[in-house]
Amino acid sequence: MGAFSVLLAAAVHLPLVKRFVRDEFRETFLSQAEYPGVRLITLQEGEDLWAAGETVFFDARPERPFREGHVPRARNLPMANSKLEIPPGLLDLPRERTLVVYCEGGDCQSSLALAKRLHDDGFKDIRVMTGGWEEWKKAGLPEEAGDAEK
Amino acid sequence: MLKNRAILVVFRLVLGGLFVYAGVVKVVDPLDFAQNIRNYRLVGQSLSFIAAVVLPWLEILAGIALAAGIWKRASALIITGLLVFFILLTLVTIARGLDVECGCFGALSRKSGFGVILEDLGMLFMGLCLLVAPAKRT
Repeated sequence: MGAFSVLLAAAVHLPLVKRFVRDEFRETFLSQAEYPGVRLITLQEGEDLWAAGETVFFDARPERPFREGHVPRARNLPMANSKLEIPPGLLDLPRERTLVVYCEGGDCQSSLALAKRLHDDGFKDIRVMTGGWEEWKKAGLPEEAGDAEK
Repeated sequence: MLKNRAILVVFRLVLGGLFVYAGVVKVVDPLDFAQNIRNYRLVGQSLSFIAAVVLPWLEILAGIALAAGIWKRASALIITGLLVFFILLTLVTIARGLDVECGCFGALSRKSGFGVILEDLGMLFMGLCLLVAPAKRT
Protein backbone atom coordinates (compact mmCIF):
# COMPACT_ATOMS: atom_id res chain seq x y z
CA MET A 1 0.00 0.00 0.00
CA GLY A 2 2.93 2.31 0.78
CA ALA A 3 4.58 1.76 -2.60
CA PHE A 4 1.26 2.23 -4.36
CA SER A 5 0.77 5.53 -2.52
CA VAL A 6 4.16 6.74 -3.77
CA LEU A 7 3.27 5.76 -7.34
CA LEU A 8 -0.10 7.47 -7.17
CA ALA A 9 1.45 10.59 -5.66
CA ALA A 10 4.09 10.73 -8.39
CA ALA A 11 1.52 10.22 -11.14
CA VAL A 12 -1.16 12.62 -9.91
CA HIS A 13 1.20 15.35 -8.75
CA LEU A 14 3.74 15.01 -11.56
CA PRO A 15 3.67 18.73 -12.53
CA LEU A 16 4.15 19.66 -8.89
CA VAL A 17 6.95 17.11 -8.45
CA LYS A 18 8.70 18.63 -11.48
CA ARG A 19 8.50 22.07 -9.88
CA PHE A 20 9.85 20.57 -6.67
CA VAL A 21 12.80 19.04 -8.54
CA ARG A 22 13.44 22.47 -10.11
CA ASP A 23 13.84 23.72 -6.53
CA GLU A 24 10.84 26.01 -6.80
CA PHE A 25 9.76 25.32 -3.23
CA ARG A 26 13.18 25.80 -1.66
CA GLU A 27 12.02 28.62 0.61
CA THR A 28 8.27 28.47 0.63
CA PHE A 29 5.33 26.46 -0.63
CA LEU A 30 3.61 29.60 -1.84
CA SER A 31 2.77 29.14 -5.49
CA GLN A 32 3.77 32.22 -7.49
CA ALA A 33 0.94 31.49 -9.90
CA GLU A 34 -1.60 31.58 -7.07
CA TYR A 35 0.04 34.33 -5.01
CA PRO A 36 1.79 36.62 -7.48
CA GLY A 37 1.66 39.54 -5.05
CA VAL A 38 3.63 37.81 -2.31
CA ARG A 39 7.40 37.82 -2.21
CA LEU A 40 10.13 37.22 0.34
CA ILE A 41 12.45 40.05 1.36
CA THR A 42 15.60 40.44 3.45
CA LEU A 43 15.99 42.41 6.64
CA GLN A 44 17.71 45.20 4.70
CA GLU A 45 14.77 45.57 2.33
CA GLY A 46 12.40 45.50 5.28
CA GLU A 47 14.37 48.18 7.07
CA ASP A 48 14.42 50.40 3.97
CA LEU A 49 10.66 50.08 3.57
CA TRP A 50 10.13 50.85 7.25
CA ALA A 51 12.43 53.88 7.11
CA ALA A 52 10.56 55.26 4.09
CA GLY A 53 7.45 55.23 6.28
CA GLU A 54 4.95 54.37 3.55
CA THR A 55 4.67 50.67 4.24
CA VAL A 56 2.33 49.09 6.78
CA PHE A 57 3.95 46.38 8.90
CA PHE A 58 2.00 43.43 10.25
CA ASP A 59 3.31 41.26 13.07
CA ALA A 60 1.95 37.70 12.87
CA ARG A 61 3.12 36.67 16.34
CA PRO A 62 0.77 36.09 19.28
CA GLU A 63 -0.26 39.11 21.38
CA ARG A 64 2.11 38.55 24.27
CA PRO A 65 5.43 38.61 22.40
CA PHE A 66 4.04 41.47 20.31
CA ARG A 67 3.41 43.52 23.46
CA GLU A 68 6.92 42.78 24.69
CA GLY A 69 8.47 44.23 21.58
CA HIS A 70 7.81 44.77 17.88
CA VAL A 71 8.74 46.85 14.86
CA PRO A 72 7.59 50.42 15.58
CA ARG A 73 4.18 51.22 14.05
CA ALA A 74 3.52 47.53 13.31
CA ARG A 75 0.01 46.17 13.73
CA ASN A 76 -0.58 42.83 15.39
CA LEU A 77 -2.47 40.11 13.52
CA PRO A 78 -1.72 36.85 15.37
CA MET A 79 -1.84 34.16 12.74
CA ALA A 80 -2.71 30.94 14.52
CA ASN A 81 -4.68 29.56 11.61
CA SER A 82 -6.02 30.47 8.19
CA LYS A 83 -9.49 31.18 9.57
CA LEU A 84 -8.17 34.28 11.29
CA GLU A 85 -10.89 36.88 11.75
CA ILE A 86 -9.42 40.28 11.11
CA PRO A 87 -10.80 43.01 13.38
CA PRO A 88 -12.93 45.50 11.43
CA GLY A 89 -11.02 48.58 10.38
CA LEU A 90 -7.59 47.02 10.65
CA LEU A 91 -7.43 46.45 6.92
CA ASP A 92 -9.02 49.69 5.80
CA LEU A 93 -6.12 50.32 3.48
CA PRO A 94 -5.86 50.75 -0.28
CA ARG A 95 -5.29 47.30 -1.77
CA GLU A 96 -2.28 48.66 -3.70
CA ARG A 97 -0.50 49.63 -0.49
CA THR A 98 2.73 47.74 0.20
CA LEU A 99 2.54 45.56 3.29
CA VAL A 100 5.35 43.83 5.14
CA VAL A 101 4.57 40.83 7.31
CA TYR A 102 6.86 39.08 9.75
CA CYS A 103 6.79 36.56 12.56
CA GLU A 104 9.31 35.33 15.10
CA GLY A 105 12.01 34.51 12.55
CA GLY A 106 14.19 31.48 12.13
CA ASP A 107 11.86 28.76 11.05
CA CYS A 108 8.55 30.50 11.78
CA GLN A 109 5.84 30.17 9.17
CA SER A 110 2.94 32.28 10.40
CA SER A 111 4.03 35.32 8.36
CA LEU A 112 3.57 33.24 5.21
CA ALA A 113 0.12 32.20 6.34
CA LEU A 114 -0.74 35.82 7.05
CA ALA A 115 0.62 36.89 3.66
CA LYS A 116 -1.69 34.37 1.99
CA ARG A 117 -4.62 35.62 4.03
CA LEU A 118 -3.92 39.25 3.11
CA HIS A 119 -3.50 38.29 -0.54
CA ASP A 120 -6.89 36.56 -0.42
CA ASP A 121 -8.22 39.81 1.01
CA GLY A 122 -7.19 41.64 -2.16
CA PHE A 123 -3.82 43.14 -1.29
CA LYS A 124 -1.46 43.15 -4.25
CA ASP A 125 1.97 43.83 -2.78
CA ILE A 126 2.85 41.80 0.28
CA ARG A 127 6.46 41.30 1.34
CA VAL A 128 7.42 38.61 3.83
CA MET A 129 10.40 39.60 5.95
CA THR A 130 11.78 36.10 6.47
CA GLY A 131 14.32 36.98 9.16
CA GLY A 132 11.42 38.14 11.30
CA TRP A 133 11.52 39.81 14.68
CA GLU A 134 14.59 37.81 15.77
CA GLU A 135 16.75 39.30 13.01
CA TRP A 136 15.30 42.80 13.41
CA LYS A 137 16.10 42.78 17.13
CA LYS A 138 19.53 41.26 16.63
CA ALA A 139 20.41 44.03 14.17
CA GLY A 140 19.66 46.61 16.86
CA LEU A 141 16.93 48.28 14.83
CA PRO A 142 14.28 50.46 16.55
CA GLU A 143 11.72 48.65 18.67
CA GLU A 144 8.51 49.51 20.37
CA ALA A 145 6.62 47.80 23.19
CA GLY A 146 2.96 47.75 24.20
CA ASP A 147 -0.24 47.39 22.26
CA ALA A 148 0.68 49.97 19.62
CA GLU A 149 -1.76 50.05 16.71
CA LYS A 150 -3.40 46.71 17.34
CA MET B 1 -12.33 -5.00 22.97
CA LEU B 2 -15.59 -5.01 21.04
CA LYS B 3 -16.68 -8.17 19.26
CA ASN B 4 -20.12 -7.12 18.05
CA ARG B 5 -20.05 -7.55 14.27
CA ALA B 6 -22.46 -4.72 13.44
CA ILE B 7 -20.54 -2.22 15.55
CA LEU B 8 -17.25 -3.29 13.98
CA VAL B 9 -18.72 -2.77 10.51
CA VAL B 10 -19.85 0.72 11.54
CA PHE B 11 -16.33 1.41 12.87
CA ARG B 12 -14.85 0.27 9.56
CA LEU B 13 -17.12 2.53 7.54
CA VAL B 14 -16.73 5.57 9.81
CA LEU B 15 -12.97 5.29 10.22
CA GLY B 16 -12.37 4.38 6.59
CA GLY B 17 -14.64 7.21 5.44
CA LEU B 18 -12.90 9.75 7.66
CA PHE B 19 -9.50 8.75 6.31
CA VAL B 20 -10.67 8.90 2.70
CA TYR B 21 -12.10 12.37 3.35
CA ALA B 22 -8.94 13.53 5.14
CA GLY B 23 -6.82 12.25 2.26
CA VAL B 24 -8.93 13.75 -0.52
CA VAL B 25 -8.95 17.28 0.94
CA LYS B 26 -5.16 17.13 1.16
CA VAL B 27 -4.73 15.78 -2.38
CA VAL B 28 -6.75 18.74 -3.66
CA ASP B 29 -4.29 21.26 -2.19
CA PRO B 30 -0.90 19.58 -1.60
CA LEU B 31 1.03 22.84 -1.22
CA ASP B 32 -1.26 23.98 1.57
CA PHE B 33 -0.77 20.64 3.32
CA ALA B 34 3.01 20.87 2.77
CA GLN B 35 2.92 24.27 4.46
CA ASN B 36 0.94 22.77 7.34
CA ILE B 37 3.59 20.08 7.81
CA ARG B 38 6.34 22.71 7.60
CA ASN B 39 4.58 24.76 10.27
CA TYR B 40 5.24 21.99 12.80
CA ARG B 41 8.93 22.87 12.37
CA LEU B 42 10.08 19.26 12.65
CA VAL B 43 11.20 18.60 9.09
CA GLY B 44 12.56 20.77 6.29
CA GLN B 45 11.08 21.85 2.98
CA SER B 46 11.91 18.66 1.06
CA LEU B 47 10.53 16.19 3.58
CA SER B 48 7.45 18.37 4.08
CA PHE B 49 6.80 18.26 0.34
CA ILE B 50 7.34 14.50 0.04
CA ALA B 51 5.09 13.80 3.03
CA ALA B 52 2.44 16.16 1.65
CA VAL B 53 2.16 14.35 -1.66
CA VAL B 54 2.48 10.76 -0.39
CA LEU B 55 0.69 10.71 2.97
CA PRO B 56 -2.78 11.68 1.65
CA TRP B 57 -2.71 8.77 -0.81
CA LEU B 58 -1.78 6.39 1.98
CA GLU B 59 -4.75 7.72 3.96
CA ILE B 60 -7.07 7.31 0.97
CA LEU B 61 -5.92 3.78 0.10
CA ALA B 62 -6.01 2.60 3.71
CA GLY B 63 -9.41 4.24 4.19
CA ILE B 64 -10.90 2.64 1.06
CA ALA B 65 -9.45 -0.75 1.95
CA LEU B 66 -10.79 -0.56 5.49
CA ALA B 67 -14.27 0.62 4.47
CA ALA B 68 -14.48 -1.96 1.68
CA GLY B 69 -13.26 -4.76 3.92
CA ILE B 70 -10.17 -5.54 1.81
CA TRP B 71 -6.91 -6.15 3.69
CA LYS B 72 -8.79 -5.18 6.84
CA ARG B 73 -6.01 -5.91 9.27
CA ALA B 74 -3.28 -4.29 7.17
CA SER B 75 -5.33 -1.14 6.62
CA ALA B 76 -6.36 -0.99 10.29
CA LEU B 77 -2.69 -1.33 11.21
CA ILE B 78 -1.68 1.55 8.91
CA ILE B 79 -4.49 3.74 10.21
CA THR B 80 -3.79 3.07 13.89
CA GLY B 81 -0.09 3.64 13.23
CA LEU B 82 -0.85 6.99 11.62
CA LEU B 83 -3.16 7.94 14.48
CA VAL B 84 -0.50 7.12 17.09
CA PHE B 85 1.92 9.27 15.11
CA PHE B 86 -0.58 12.16 14.88
CA ILE B 87 -1.26 12.00 18.63
CA LEU B 88 2.46 12.05 19.48
CA LEU B 89 3.00 14.89 17.00
CA THR B 90 0.23 16.94 18.59
CA LEU B 91 1.57 16.29 22.10
CA VAL B 92 5.05 17.40 21.04
CA THR B 93 3.55 20.48 19.39
CA ILE B 94 1.68 21.42 22.57
CA ALA B 95 4.82 20.83 24.66
CA ARG B 96 6.82 23.10 22.34
CA GLY B 97 4.18 25.81 22.64
CA LEU B 98 3.65 26.04 18.89
CA ASP B 99 0.46 27.66 17.69
CA VAL B 100 -0.24 25.81 14.46
CA GLU B 101 -3.16 24.51 12.47
CA CYS B 102 -3.42 20.71 12.67
CA GLY B 103 -3.79 20.29 8.89
CA CYS B 104 -5.90 17.20 9.50
CA PHE B 105 -9.07 17.89 7.52
CA GLY B 106 -8.21 20.61 5.00
CA ALA B 107 -10.44 23.65 5.44
CA LEU B 108 -12.01 22.05 8.54
CA SER B 109 -8.64 21.98 10.29
CA ARG B 110 -8.23 23.85 13.53
CA LYS B 111 -5.57 24.62 16.06
CA SER B 112 -3.43 21.65 17.00
CA GLY B 113 -4.33 20.99 20.64
CA PHE B 114 -6.09 18.71 23.10
CA GLY B 115 -9.32 18.74 21.07
CA VAL B 116 -7.46 17.19 18.16
CA ILE B 117 -5.93 14.58 20.49
CA LEU B 118 -9.37 13.64 21.80
CA GLU B 119 -10.67 13.14 18.26
CA ASP B 120 -7.63 11.08 17.36
CA LEU B 121 -8.08 8.97 20.50
CA GLY B 122 -11.67 8.27 19.49
CA MET B 123 -10.51 7.13 16.06
CA LEU B 124 -7.65 5.18 17.61
CA PHE B 125 -10.14 3.28 19.77
CA MET B 126 -12.07 2.27 16.64
CA GLY B 127 -8.85 1.29 14.89
CA LEU B 128 -7.65 -0.83 17.78
CA CYS B 129 -11.04 -2.58 18.03
CA LEU B 130 -10.76 -3.47 14.34
CA LEU B 131 -7.16 -4.51 14.69
CA VAL B 132 -7.75 -7.00 17.51
CA ALA B 133 -11.15 -8.24 16.30
CA PRO B 134 -11.32 -11.93 15.39
CA ALA B 135 -10.52 -12.35 11.68
CA LYS B 136 -13.94 -13.59 10.51
CA ARG B 137 -16.05 -11.37 12.70
CA THR B 138 -15.70 -8.04 10.83
